[in-house]
Amino acid sequence: MDRFGVNLMTFPLAGCTLSGAFAHVPAAFAPAASAVFNQAGALGIGVVFQPGTCADGLDFRFEVPGLAPIAGRLLGWADGRPDGASELTVQAASGLMAVHGRASGGARPLGVDYVSTLAASLALQGTFAAAIGQLRGSGHTRVDVSLAGAATLAIGQYLAGATAPEGAERLLPGCTSPRERPPFTSADGVVFELETLDAEPWRRFWNGLGIPGELAGKGWSAFLLRYAKAVSPMPAELMEALSRLPYAVIAERCAEAGLSICPLRSLIERLEDDDLPLLLEHGPWHFTPGTSGLPPTTLGGRGDLPLSGLRVIESCRRIQGPLAGHLLALLGAEVIRIELPGGDPLRGMPPLVDGCSVRFDALNRHKQVCELDIKSARGRAELLELASQADVFLHNWAPGKAAELNLDHADLARVNPALIYAYAGGWGEDARLHAMPGTDFMVQAYSGVARQIARRSASAGGSLFTVLDVLGGVVAAQGVSVALLKRGLRGEAGRVDSSLLGAATLLCTTELLALRDGKAPVEPPVAGVYPTAAGLLAIECRDAAEVERLRYALDCPLDAEPALRDEQIVRCLASRDAQAWQSLLREFGLAASAVREDLSAVHEDGRIAPCLRTEAYTLVKSPWSFT
Amino acid sequence: MPVSVSVSIPTLLRPLTQDQKRIEIEGATVRELIERMDSQYPGIKERLLDGGEMHRFVNVYVNDNDIRFADNLGTALKDGDNVSILPAVAGG
Repeated sequence: MDRFGVNLMTFPLAGCTLSGAFAHVPAAFAPAASAVFNQAGALGIGVVFQPGTCADGLDFRFEVPGLAPIAGRLLGWADGRPDGASELTVQAASGLMAVHGRASGGARPLGVDYVSTLAASLALQGTFAAAIGQLRGSGHTRVDVSLAGAATLAIGQYLAGATAPEGAERLLPGCTSPRERPPFTSADGVVFELETLDAEPWRRFWNGLGIPGELAGKGWSAFLLRYAKAVSPMPAELMEALSRLPYAVIAERCAEAGLSICPLRSLIERLEDDDLPLLLEHGPWHFTPGTSGLPPTTLGGRGDLPLSGLRVIESCRRIQGPLAGHLLALLGAEVIRIELPGGDPLRGMPPLVDGCSVRFDALNRHKQVCELDIKSARGRAELLELASQADVFLHNWAPGKAAELNLDHADLARVNPALIYAYAGGWGEDARLHAMPGTDFMVQAYSGVARQIARRSASAGGSLFTVLDVLGGVVAAQGVSVALLKRGLRGEAGRVDSSLLGAATLLCTTELLALRDGKAPVEPPVAGVYPTAAGLLAIECRDAAEVERLRYALDCPLDAEPALRDEQIVRCLASRDAQAWQSLLREFGLAASAVREDLSAVHEDGRIAPCLRTEAYTLVKSPWSFT
Repeated sequence: MPVSVSVSIPTLLRPLTQDQKRIEIEGATVRELIERMDSQYPGIKERLLDGGEMHRFVNVYVNDNDIRFADNLGTALKDGDNVSILPAVAGG
């Protein structure tokens, strides 16, 4: 305990304050505002609700004793235009709905406040980075982010795949069946995910069910497409074979074959879990103190970016960890990426540009690479040598591997007491879950996120867009920034753990808190995607006043019953195209946007274009702008 | 009669095949095919196999069928079969 009367181990930023008119933001920014103050509170930051209003977004001020105040601003569109931006319209215009819709029955809302949560994390992280920069001698006092910037960051890999100069992917919303894809449904109606990272358990499982090898192989090819392309066109025979068996039998067969299985749970079930209260109270990070009494932060490289001069060693594969490293690089850190001798196999996944996968390049282009084998004594020695000269070590190895390799927190702290040791995991603290691969779709299923998403989707499950890998990557980078700021302020290093399950909990915080307190979660009265004379239109009304304005703009009565009201909206919208409705409804101050279905054209939208840069493929720029 | 098949080469291995996207080669099984390829284009076997088995991050398809779900490296080839080699990584 310190003089603030709080435990600094669990509240790393106690003593800092965040002030803003959080209770008076425009309705469309309410989810982002609650994400910002919930997260700040979880980190021990004193939150001050100020009077007044933010007219076109969310403004806040982060104050750290001894530093100049840092202004944070979260807007809707990237061009600063105030009108019509909301969770739903940004999902629509950015292409996020299109990616989600590839296997979910067409462009559809995700059904969770995804962009708002992501943007809130990015906004806070930007202010933390600016504070670290100030400690190191830079003069950043302001950071701007946008919902559009957060959404495009989320789909950066898919944008790369869709705009590669050769072999670009043409995967439009609805291009695969929303039923013949994971999750699967048993004869007794249990919806569940399967997972394995190897072909052999998959082959054994289907072989045991009498499915011919050739068909099981087709299923495996479809299964492998999930992470890269957000589709998984499963042979109907596989779906049918499982639909004839009770869940208990399927689970038994999985155990025999070495395949993991997880039913899709509801948020109510999730509320019963032992790890949940801590995640709701302290956020998706677990901070463990390390060496204290370190000398004060030295002045940095004085670059243009707040983390210039800091060095990060990243030993991560796939999406979550590499994205965390990518974000730290965008903040100015020097990131050295550890790869196996011969390079990461993901480098070879088509489409390629200059011999490297564009999807891989999108997440790793700003990093240096050091090839070494951490399983060899020599490789480990090289890694320790790198870590001894670094500020951060970040990994996403399977549970237990760090200890097995003698590369755990204590091992690295021995060579570098000032090091921040960061782990971006799957399941977090609950060791009972560690037997299952902690992958995006398993965690979506277990956490309740998949069920939340399924309510608005034509499929039985979550998104095949890697919802949690992306949010988990942002959360991991945010945890690193918090730990770096704490080190700078208090001279204390340590470890920060985050997980996909923590990110999933963060995404559903508002709903979980409402359910815990016995309240019905608040849903926007209108949040849908509707056909028009040409193209789809996303409309979101966050309160009764906005519904009334929509009624006035459409000039037709709107029933209180959602299904009837949606029919009325569709009838009205048939008279014009989506672009025309977008302009017209904007004049009424409503959040409405045409849905972008083709990713190769996202850059044509002036509201999104400032987030993007066209090189060999369409690149997503840094979500932060510092001044 | 020797069995001749057409093999499509992924971009990353093309430096080993003099930039050819597709090569015609003989072999009665996938293992034999890889041996034959390696004698014509040295180094390719090392990229495909790991300790005598298919490398974990490589998939080989015979007429669109993954050999891991057939007889693996022992999968028999017929005249005119199309073999494709693709990088593969599971998980996110």
